[in-house]
Amino acid sequence: MTARDLLLHAWTWRPLLLGILSTVCVLHFTRMRLSHPWRTLALLAAVAAVVVALVSPIDALARGTLFSAHMLQHMLLALVAPPLLLLALPTARGAAAARGKPAALSWAMGVGAMWIWHAPALCNAAATSDAVRAFQNVSLVAMGIAFWLPILGPHVDRRLSDMAAVAYLFTACVACTILGISIALSPVEVCSAYGHASDPLGALPLVQGAWRLTPKVDQQLGGLLMWVPGCTVYAGAILGVVARFYGAPHAKVQEA
Amino acid sequence: MTTPAIVLPAAHRDVDARWFDWVGTVDHKRIGLLYLWTALFFFLVGGCEALLVRLQLAVPHATLLSPDAYNQLFTMHGTTMIFLVVMPTLAGFANYLVPLMIGASDVAFPRLNALAYWLFPLGGFLLHFSWLAGGAPNVGWFSYAPLSETPFTGVAHGADYWAISLVVLGVGTVAGAINLIATILALRAPGMTMQRVPLFVWMVFVNSFLTVLALPALTASCVLLLVDRLFSAHLFLPSAGGSALMWQHFFWSFGHPEVYIMALPAFGMISEVVPVFSRKPIFGYAFVAASTVAIAVLSFGVWAHHMFAVGLGRVAEAVFAASSLLIAVPTGIKIFSWVATMWGGAIRLTTAMLFAVAFLIQFVIGGLSGVTFAVVPIDWQVTDTYYVVAHFHYVLFGGTAFGVMAALYYWFPKMTGRLLDERVGRLHFWLMVVGFNLTFFVQHFLGLLGMPRRVYTYPDLPYWAALNMVSTVGAFVLGVSSLVLLFNVLRSLKVGEIAGDNPWNAWTLEWAAASPPPEHNFDALPPVHSRRPLWDLAHPDAPDSRVGADETADAPRPSAAKVAVLSFIASETAFFALLIVAYAFYTATSREGPSPHTSLDPVRTGLFTLALIASSFTLRRAEADHDARRTRRSVGWLVATIILGVVFLVGQGTEYERLFRNGITVQTNLFATTFFTLTGFHGLHVLVGLIALAVVLVLALLGELTGRLAYGLRSVAYYWHFVDVVWIVVFSVVYVRGAL
Repeated sequence: MTARDLLLHAWTWRPLLLGILSTVCVLHFTRMRLSHPWRTLALLAAVAAVVVALVSPIDALARGTLFSAHMLQHMLLALVAPPLLLLALPTARGAAAARGKPAALSWAMGVGAMWIWHAPALCNAAATSDAVRAFQNVSLVAMGIAFWLPILGPHVDRRLSDMAAVAYLFTACVACTILGISIALSPVEVCSAYGHASDPLGALPLVQGAWRLTPKVDQQLGGLLMWVPGCTVYAGAILGVVARFYGAPHAKVQEA
Repeated sequence: MTTPAIVLPAAHRDVDARWFDWVGTVDHKRIGLLYLWTALFFFLVGGCEALLVRLQLAVPHATLLSPDAYNQLFTMHGTTMIFLVVMPTLAGFANYLVPLMIGASDVAFPRLNALAYWLFPLGGFLLHFSWLAGGAPNVGWFSYAPLSETPFTGVAHGADYWAISLVVLGVGTVAGAINLIATILALRAPGMTMQRVPLFVWMVFVNSFLTVLALPALTASCVLLLVDRLFSAHLFLPSAGGSALMWQHFFWSFGHPEVYIMALPAFGMISEVVPVFSRKPIFGYAFVAASTVAIAVLSFGVWAHHMFAVGLGRVAEAVFAASSLLIAVPTGIKIFSWVATMWGGAIRLTTAMLFAVAFLIQFVIGGLSGVTFAVVPIDWQVTDTYYVVAHFHYVLFGGTAFGVMAALYYWFPKMTGRLLDERVGRLHFWLMVVGFNLTFFVQHFLGLLGMPRRVYTYPDLPYWAALNMVSTVGAFVLGVSSLVLLFNVLRSLKVGEIAGDNPWNAWTLEWAAASPPPEHNFDALPPVHSRRPLWDLAHPDAPDSRVGADETADAPRPSAAKVAVLSFIASETAFFALLIVAYAFYTATSREGPSPHTSLDPVRTGLFTLALIASSFTLRRAEADHDARRTRRSVGWLVATIILGVVFLVGQGTEYERLFRNGITVQTNLFATTFFTLTGFHGLHVLVGLIALAVVLVLALLGELTGRLAYGLRSVAYYWHFVDVVWIVVFSVVYVRGAL
């Protein structure tokens, strides 16, 4: 199999998922039209992230062939699509403030999404079983949304204060960094299913030959994906919060 | 009438008053000055060490210094300049200026501040005592293991002194940083919102978080190195199954944030000096502030670019090359902001401004050569050559040291009431610019010609002798410039022009105080509606536009004690995170001898774990009863907590005893070493927590847990709960996972 074959033929057409995504898009356009172009852009980006993760050849590779492809999928579903989805929602003010414990729970879910699914047993189960993987994908998006709610939730008054949001994001970044480092530098296999790649695709010669992604390098790449680009997402969000911190009060003054 | 008993000590005090006022001071200004004077002393020491190094390198085949003396000198030069000069200098300025700039009368914890300072000379003394104890460390400022291990250093204790003094200095630095965080959050004057603080304060604030989170990595690394060296373990000795690479990971996970710890406060200084002498407010305040946050966060994710030469694998190299290039962006944003601030401004080229301009140019050169290291093949070519030496001196000397000089000329009048002499200052400036660039610019070429760093001499290859001679001449010009600085400072202290409160027509709050400020700093504070309160005061007809919402005089501030305890816990978390990672890594690579599976008893330890977890609940009850003023019940729960804590410690002690009986000690294998280090440090924390609980118990029994000390119980409780949570993690990682 060549890279061209992979790109052309290894797509996973999921009617249910594509149906849901199209419905969401149609709903968005009929309800909002183009009144908030940024929200539309965020929605399209979120849809693109899900499509890349679950429809494109990434998904085929993640089915037992490449650990790093699984990691990319993992990151897109838990870390990229949820915040974009929340950004696409209209915001509301005046909701009763409910801070504190839910934020700790959200944090635990967001970080848990990273850690739990990389316990060797669960990681292997997801790599080999379609049912487990489907559950994994849904849970990743759900936990991702839970994580991002205190930062980007539609109820503006229920969001964390700016200072707390930075701490929330930074500690999550550290937690993912530690996991990423552990995976990248671990002397043992984290997800042994990928070590003895089953290769239903027939992509193994391409992956291990032309791309030189041996199981060891593959795992290193997976860990690094979580470590560096993963943390960059949190860092970007921190910058967003800081921008909000400096931007919002000016706006308030102008309104007044 | 005073009694003779009181007159006598007073008379006695007169003799030693000045002495004692400095030694016993808890005034942030005096402590700041103590930092600066001590750092100046070490600057001269480190400078002499550098001059000896340059003298040895002036000509090829020189024999002035023996190879070992040379190694000791460059190691001491680097360690001294980083830990005893740059960091304390920045701490000194922050100590002096932050309370003044936010309109506070002192830092949040003046006595903690004094402790943080006095740990600094103690650490410096420990480091330099090594000269008398068989030789200074000779393993470079990053003390690469395994080369810093006993098989390579022999019995000499230089590396031990290096590690111990860095632990001491690290504790002091973290204490100072926690104090600054608490001060900035809790003691800002009404109206001084976080959006209005001067950029120097903002950068010190961000920097303090970097310090709190990064220094513990150094402390933990030094602890592991000491365990290897003093207890004959072999974590970093590949010959005995250890890892030759982990030290680099551990060290640079501290070392790269450290680069920014040494740069951010200087960025803050430049951000104050440039606007005042350009007569314009800073261009893009929010961009400068936000890019600081970006630098701080990213700095934790790029350390591996110090390790391209070890062969991380091309994937890791590509990822870290990209992230390292990325961090240049927020730094570039700052440069553009400073240049844009000067653009179209009415620039006054005072000595302070001259240093700031030189900072800009030199820091850009250092930054650009830094970007070249992110390109892996270039890094392979020039790593460990003089190109690297040139690069980091452009950042730390051409950047930070010039920023500090700008700050010194700018704030000296505030600190002393007298201006530094501008004519001598210009001489100092030009000598320093010429000396610095002569010394270090040519080292770029030496590095590209292939001259390795850290070699005590070199063969007579084409251009090497000439370039080295230029560099040595430049170093001596730099030495002369330092003497000119010293002369200027000492002379201006006596006969300098009287400055007045605000000699530069600056805009931030410290210039509203007298020069030098009285012990309580301010008699009255001007109102704060913008980032330039003194501009608003002087120009009531054209004030700056209001920044954010105004505050009332009783605007809420977080509790300093709470902020401090939480920051301390964050710091401790970083320390334990590194120890836990070390345990997980080394236990996975530990192939022979005892393993968690064969030597640990999770059920037995689980029972003692329950005691520790229960102690958190009893302490919660003690807190609740204390809040409800049921003192006797609160005391009862406190006693129960202490008993449960002691039970846990006894459990740990008996477990150690059982392991020792089976011949498992800290030097048995990699698992045992990291097991004892991790659980031992946790036990030590439990012990400290017990002592703190005992103190709180005594205070409660005496009825003193009120007023200023009312927060004591809560602070100790935060710490105790934290220690319990750490144990739950340790128990899961060590015992539960080990049993599986």
